[in-house]
Amino acid sequence: MASRSAARRKKEQSEYFFDYSLLFIVLFLLGFGLVMIYSASSYEAYQSYQDQAYYLKKQLVAVILGLVAMIAVANIPYHFWERFYLAGYLVSMAIIPLVLTPLGVKSHGARRWIEVPVIGLNLQPAEVAKLGMILFLATMVCKMGKNVRTMKGFLLMVAFPLPIALEIYLITDNLSSAIIVLGISVLMVFVASPDYKKFLIMGGAVVALAALAVFLVVSGSDFLKFRGGRIQAWLDPESDLLGVGFQTMQALYAIGSGGIWGKGLGQSMQKLSFLPEAQNDMIFSIICEELGLFGAIAIILMFIMLLWRMMVIANNAPDLFGAMLVVGVMGHIAIQAILNIAVVTNSIPNTGISLPFISYGGSSVMFLLAEIGLVLSVAKRIQLKEL
Amino acid sequence: MLTDNNRIFHRKKILTVFVLCTVILLALFGRLIYLCVFQAEHYSQMATQLHERERSIKAARGRILDRNGKVLADNRTVCTVSVIHNQVKDPEQVIEVLSRELGLSEEYVRARVEKYSSMERVKSNVEKTLGDRIREYDLEGVKVDEDYRRYYPYEELASKVLGFTGGDNQGIIGLEVKYEEVLKGTPGSILTVTDAAGLEMEAAGERRVEPVNGNDLVISMDMNIQSYATQLAAQAMAAKQADSVSILVMNPQNGEMLAMVNVPEFDLNDPYRLPEGAPADLSEQERQDLLNAMWRNGCINDTYEPGSTFKIITAAAGLEEGVVTPESTFSCPGYIVVDDRRIRCHKTAGHGSQDFVHATMNSCNPVFITVGLRLGVERYYSYFERFGLKKKTGIDLPGEAGTIMHRMEDMGNVELATVAFGQSFQITPVQLLTTAASIVNGGRRVTPHFGVRTLDEDGNTLEDFSYPVEKGIVSEETSAQMRSILEMVVSEGSGKNGAVEGFRVGGKTATSQTLPRGSGRYIASFIGFAPADDPQVMALAIVNNPQGVYYGGQVAAPIVRQLFENILPYLGIKEYNLDNEQS
Repeated sequence: MASRSAARRKKEQSEYFFDYSLLFIVLFLLGFGLVMIYSASSYEAYQSYQDQAYYLKKQLVAVILGLVAMIAVANIPYHFWERFYLAGYLVSMAIIPLVLTPLGVKSHGARRWIEVPVIGLNLQPAEVAKLGMILFLATMVCKMGKNVRTMKGFLLMVAFPLPIALEIYLITDNLSSAIIVLGISVLMVFVASPDYKKFLIMGGAVVALAALAVFLVVSGSDFLKFRGGRIQAWLDPESDLLGVGFQTMQALYAIGSGGIWGKGLGQSMQKLSFLPEAQNDMIFSIICEELGLFGAIAIILMFIMLLWRMMVIANNAPDLFGAMLVVGVMGHIAIQAILNIAVVTNSIPNTGISLPFISYGGSSVMFLLAEIGLVLSVAKRIQLKEL
Repeated sequence: MLTDNNRIFHRKKILTVFVLCTVILLALFGRLIYLCVFQAEHYSQMATQLHERERSIKAARGRILDRNGKVLADNRTVCTVSVIHNQVKDPEQVIEVLSRELGLSEEYVRARVEKYSSMERVKSNVEKTLGDRIREYDLEGVKVDEDYRRYYPYEELASKVLGFTGGDNQGIIGLEVKYEEVLKGTPGSILTVTDAAGLEMEAAGERRVEPVNGNDLVISMDMNIQSYATQLAAQAMAAKQADSVSILVMNPQNGEMLAMVNVPEFDLNDPYRLPEGAPADLSEQERQDLLNAMWRNGCINDTYEPGSTFKIITAAAGLEEGVVTPESTFSCPGYIVVDDRRIRCHKTAGHGSQDFVHATMNSCNPVFITVGLRLGVERYYSYFERFGLKKKTGIDLPGEAGTIMHRMEDMGNVELATVAFGQSFQITPVQLLTTAASIVNGGRRVTPHFGVRTLDEDGNTLEDFSYPVEKGIVSEETSAQMRSILEMVVSEGSGKNGAVEGFRVGGKTATSQTLPRGSGRYIASFIGFAPADDPQVMALAIVNNPQGVYYGGQVAAPIVRQLFENILPYLGIKEYNLDNEQS
């Protein structure tokens, strides 16, 4: 009797999969992020709020809330969310214009946040939209079935995210979030569709457009204005040290002065108010300055492992809906990590993108953790015998 | 459940996404390697520049001392006023106070205050009292640093020789430029690490590099001789309403310059004040041209036709080569025909029959033309070069002008004839003096110079300068003959106004017409040395465009006489008569 119940318990435990590797990678990134936020922001925090841990505390609250959300979501079967797909889409559509209402909060010269009543936390509607889009597209892929493979289906899938991306770009003037929403969608459609040609053409078109933009800027056309300045600063950041190229150059100073081994944790000079957004979009350059090339490769490897775990989960997901959800989250994290590191190293023109799990930013980390909850929930449904 | 068919392509697609992302991340890592390894030095240097605020500590510039230790160029404490952009709390007040107190335009101060830099200099060389007053306002972000400013106790004395310094205490003209390396020292600095707001990070400490003060320079000039010569020159300039008067005094034995006067001089403590009578509405360029003209040292920067004083060189060449002896006799009908040219003597009636000594005493042109022609172009030219006239003297002052001379191939007899009595070519006054000194000192071509040695702060000698001497440009015998001929010129000939009671003085006068001929402008000059048998001091006086009487013997010789009357006893040169009485 005892042995039978023990065997049953054992069967229950081992029948389903829980991805501890993924969880530990995420926890590592979060912990590392908190340390780096404290290191990067303490000087500035003391200057502004007489509290070295000001940013750390705020982030810690968001991380805890996020972890609670993650555990909750992980324990809810993910199909529970399927019914909210349209609601998610519509809420995303509706929440973005709220930044223009009195609820909107202006910060860093842009209206991109809304204050959630009662709780008093600032929320970035773009984060809601990213999650909403992942849920919506995952559901749509399942609903459309094989129709996704037709031209009509393809066009429809590409058309869905456009209104939201446009809203984000036009209302909150946040090009990078718009690009991320589009990017997530394209990746999900790419996975859903067996075709390669269409995507190669799309990729080619994007590259051609980018090249055209750079060409227009270099040839002196003032067609692009604001963005043009950023492209100019990207091509030659030292030409405009105190202007558009300022932040980029400050980031490069940090990376360059870190060298191979870094200056040591806490030893960054650039965080002493030289580098704007040191604890936020530019935190990767502080990591490079303090921990050097080795700190940087450690973080990059952690992200690659995180993506690999999500690939494994997506590949073994019990159904297409689960797989698509994981692909969406994977795309989200991958795009943000790549774009962030690319911006910090001046590999692409400067645009504000935070580094997942590490950058300071409450709503970003909470929504990312909720997304990880979704992934864990999918993972839990993987039967070990499937592996 | 994914169907198996679906699963395969989905898996492939997901793998593609993963591989793509990994490749991009690794490419970015490659970019990081480039930045962290290959560009590290570049960026960390730029970053250090950004993080460290450097305040320089000026090194005290070395002083310039005369041969007796009198200080000719000294330092005085002054202040530099700067603004630190990030520390300025009330820009308007700072702009208002600084522009009012420093007498600067508001726009100028505003540009400095509003410029985003770690530290911006508003004005340097501010008097200490004014600096203290600005300090008392206690304006945040305004820094008053003390440093040194050049100060010249004798103001106008030897202005064109000493030179002055600019805003960064760097030499602008004269010895201040030539001995910049000796005098300037090495500025020190205080490096403090700051945050972006310019607040100093105490934990990071500061690096302090101590300044090394400049060394003192001892020059051969004698302040007393220089100031007396300046007085004489100023008197002569006023009396003769001349454009300018130059006096050079040298020790012909070693080339040490005892004085170099160019009146009008200018005030070294206020070198940018235009001479009196300058029009007020000058363009920047005209202003600068006028200043450059004012600062110009005519003794070395300008050339002139030396005229009859150059007969010393012709005579020495002729004697050395043996084409003439003091006893050679000549006849001067008042002119001489060279090729197709008839060149007149200054005495149109002619000097008649005379020996070479008397021809020199009379400064007879036809005789010297004859000597020149006897030497011929090639030999004359080789003496010209042997005496060092084609080279610069090498005096330790900047901007020495070179000689303007015919090329040998272009020289015919007519050119040779004019060169023989000092016309149709140009040399600097210091060149003439040096060459004449070399002829009468026994044939040693000396290098004229001011710099004698450098001293450290405690007055210990660091370096004694030595200057090249070229021996044997004429023989001792020729040199002795020249000394005695030139003594005759002063005692009984055209230079008798240069005679000094009780001393043996040798010399030669010159009256040269400036180009273009017929302009009525003359340069009167006299070169004299004493004692005539063993020259210890040699002087050249040049009066530029005197009004009225313009003969060198009447205008320039008396200047040298007065000079010698005073400086020969001062230099401890014994009177000839006393000498004789003792022996």
